[in-house]
Amino acid sequence: MQYWFNLYRANLKVSIASMLQYRFTILIWAVWGFVGPLISLAVWTAVSAARGGAIVNKASGASFGARDFSAYFLVYMIFSHLMMSWDAFEFAFRIQNGQLSPALLKPVHPIHRDASSNIAFKLTTSAMLLPVWILLFVLLKPNIHLTFESILAIPALLLGGALRYVLQYSLASIAFWTTRVEAINQLYFSLDSFLAGRIAPLALMPLWVVGIATYSPFRAMGSFPVELALGHLPADQILPGFALQIVWLVVAAGLFKALWRSGIRQYSSVGA
Amino acid sequence: MRYLKLLGVLYRTSIQTDMEYRVDFFTRLVASLLGLLTTIGGLSIAYGYTSTLKDWTYPQVLVLVAVYYLMDGLTEMFIAPNMRNVMSQVREGTLDFVLIKPVNAQFLTSFRTVVIWRAANIVVGILLTLYSVGRLGNHVGLVQALSFAVTMAGGCAVVYSLWLVLVTLTFWFVRVDNIEQIVWQAFEAARYPIEIYPAWLRGGLTYIVPVAFIITIPAQALSGRAHQLPLIVSVVIGGFSLAAATLFWRVGLKNYTGASA
Repeated sequence: MQYWFNLYRANLKVSIASMLQYRFTILIWAVWGFVGPLISLAVWTAVSAARGGAIVNKASGASFGARDFSAYFLVYMIFSHLMMSWDAFEFAFRIQNGQLSPALLKPVHPIHRDASSNIAFKLTTSAMLLPVWILLFVLLKPNIHLTFESILAIPALLLGGALRYVLQYSLASIAFWTTRVEAINQLYFSLDSFLAGRIAPLALMPLWVVGIATYSPFRAMGSFPVELALGHLPADQILPGFALQIVWLVVAAGLFKALWRSGIRQYSSVGA
Repeated sequence: MRYLKLLGVLYRTSIQTDMEYRVDFFTRLVASLLGLLTTIGGLSIAYGYTSTLKDWTYPQVLVLVAVYYLMDGLTEMFIAPNMRNVMSQVREGTLDFVLIKPVNAQFLTSFRTVVIWRAANIVVGILLTLYSVGRLGNHVGLVQALSFAVTMAGGCAVVYSLWLVLVTLTFWFVRVDNIEQIVWQAFEAARYPIEIYPAWLRGGLTYIVPVAFIITIPAQALSGRAHQLPLIVSVVIGGFSLAAATLFWRVGLKNYTGASA
């Protein structure tokens, strides 16, 4: 325990120092997190303006007004920043140019250093983005009523972040076989857009999409914490939601272990 | 004439290199079709609740998405790879080798390579253009086709100028590769009608990173939403930005001192 604590503390220190060195660079990457949710918000605000009021999904009975959309997409923006992971996109480059080889020589699994740099990125950029988030809340006047259940969003956020991280790392290990991962990543991104409620709140989607989303890992690491924080979830869906997060986390960890073990045998260190 | 021949040689060699990575094309095609499916799926969910989005009908928005794909593909195929090259050449000091060659440096840096597999997005863009024009019905005639061609040319001129200005900034700041991300973020926003954004953002997308001229106006021209004025503006802006960017590049080049020498 002490060992892991020291390991992560040392890694975090190094990562944070290097993030602060390149603060402008990482800030520009972090701004990507604004783009998606704010575009979705603009689209749905325009739709509700065209309808002249709240949008009601006849199939599910859910209703969203302009300020409900602001609440949903603002909270989504912050939560998805806190749960984000980019390893699936970066790992293939490391395999292509042989950068992975030195990392493999170290006595600890490379995932730990990457996880530290993920946490460091979130800590440093969240501190930088906090004023912008507050400003957006003031400007967009979201309709938020915090309830007691909103606190549960914190463990849901942590589980969701862990799930996304492990799942993306498994996806990244596919690069051991294929080297090119654009198509796989795009598939992941497409599924994530719909099933994680990134493009629209799930409550406004066709029922069959919601059905798939509910059992998919994407909702568990996407809109589930957001819906929890905003009190959109009926009480009887909270516990099953957490159970699904844990089940998917276990599955993802198993998948990662299996993929990594056979992948590392496959690895022939290109370019080194 | 000499430059045309040179262009042929440059493109031929880079196509020969790309031929070694043929599978790349199919991965990119699959990726861009999946991306298209996502955009269209999202739009059709939104259009399930309304028939027009700020006066844009569904087929008109499809035209917009098609132009987005065309412009994205053209940029990634012809412009971006060359400009990224210059950025790293400035950093490494190897731009010197380009400058001492007996041809116009702007020509040589701008048209050095072509990444043909990036044409996947262009293929998707063309197919979607044809499909959405069909959906528009018989609103598209010779006039629309001509004004589409003109505004597309204007848009290409603006994209090229934008990138040239970005690259020229490296002469002073050395590292600006991240500013590229701002251009792509604006592109992402222009996938939707820019009228949906608040006024300040619309201003930014029109005057700072002018995706309005790159994507929105060509889409309006093809779907018959644009009138003569945007057409003239597009030509003027295209020509003006080309001239201004070239001038800026020349000033920047005078400031280039070579990194390692």
